[in-house]
Amino acid sequence: MDDLDRRIIKELQENFPLEINPYGILAETLAIDVDELWRRVVDLVESGVIRRIGFSIDSRKMGYSSTLVAVRIPPEQVDKACELIDRYPQITHSYLREDAFNIWFTVIAEDRSQITKILDEIRIKLDLAEEKVMNFPVEKLFKLDARFK
Amino acid sequence: MKTPLSSLERDILSAVQYGMPVSRSPYRDIADKIGISPEELLEKLREWKAEKKIRRLGAIVNHFQMGHGAGAMVVWKVPKSEVDRVGDFFAMVPKVSHAYLRPPNEQWPYNLYTMVHASSDKELQETVNAMSVESGITEFRQLKTVRELKKVPPIYIIEL
Repeated sequence: MDDLDRRIIKELQENFPLEINPYGILAETLAIDVDELWRRVVDLVESGVIRRIGFSIDSRKMGYSSTLVAVRIPPEQVDKACELIDRYPQITHSYLREDAFNIWFTVIAEDRSQITKILDEIRIKLDLAEEKVMNFPVEKLFKLDARFK
Repeated sequence: MKTPLSSLERDILSAVQYGMPVSRSPYRDIADKIGISPEELLEKLREWKAEKKIRRLGAIVNHFQMGHGAGAMVVWKVPKSEVDRVGDFFAMVPKVSHAYLRPPNEQWPYNLYTMVHASSDKELQETVNAMSVESGITEFRQLKTVRELKKVPPIYIIEL
């Protein structure tokens, strides 16, 4: 990755135009040829540096509910839990972490009751006691900025 | 309770939730897929952007590949009266990408959640230590990522 790639990523992250010809506008801003820009964008996507070009949606403003969940599960059951988590499209991010509460994931659903239903199902399917699954809905957002700097 | 989205809005959300097509004319492609004009699509997307329902649009990068290999969730036990001060302070730390207040419970006394990213473990430790010293919050717990199990775009409209 060279300096131009980094400049391209920065523009793609911060100023992706809501215009019919976004790459033409980006090429102009970067003062490079649009074909050169496009070739590099495709390379960055194919090499996995750019996960996707997409929309970061404020689920709450869009009318959805979300939460962070922590699960305390014996190591030998982690694989089973992963398989289960994979099956829920409402579960978007999941991490294995170094802690007694070892699986952490985020859920986005149409409302609170759907989140409760999903958590109940997971608890039952993994045979976990109530206190092994903790639910942490956001009370206040101080920062959300996942851009690379 | 269903979300108050119109049928057109649901169609648009459904088409954009997985990200934009890797195409030189992404909006035209999305509009074609829904069966509306690109202008109609852009108008709605601009409206959502203005209402901040779309927080950001553009490239979502892989932190590991960008050399931000060390990441941890650090949770802090902050007295209620200090939550705003400490939350605002953490939000200003460049290596912090997320900072949220969440409810504590009997077995988990932590209430302020931060995601900290650095290029190395050493840099991560230095950042977390500085955050503790400068905020005066000494009770915290660092949960290092062992493995990413799943990371997919949020799915708002689930096709059955």
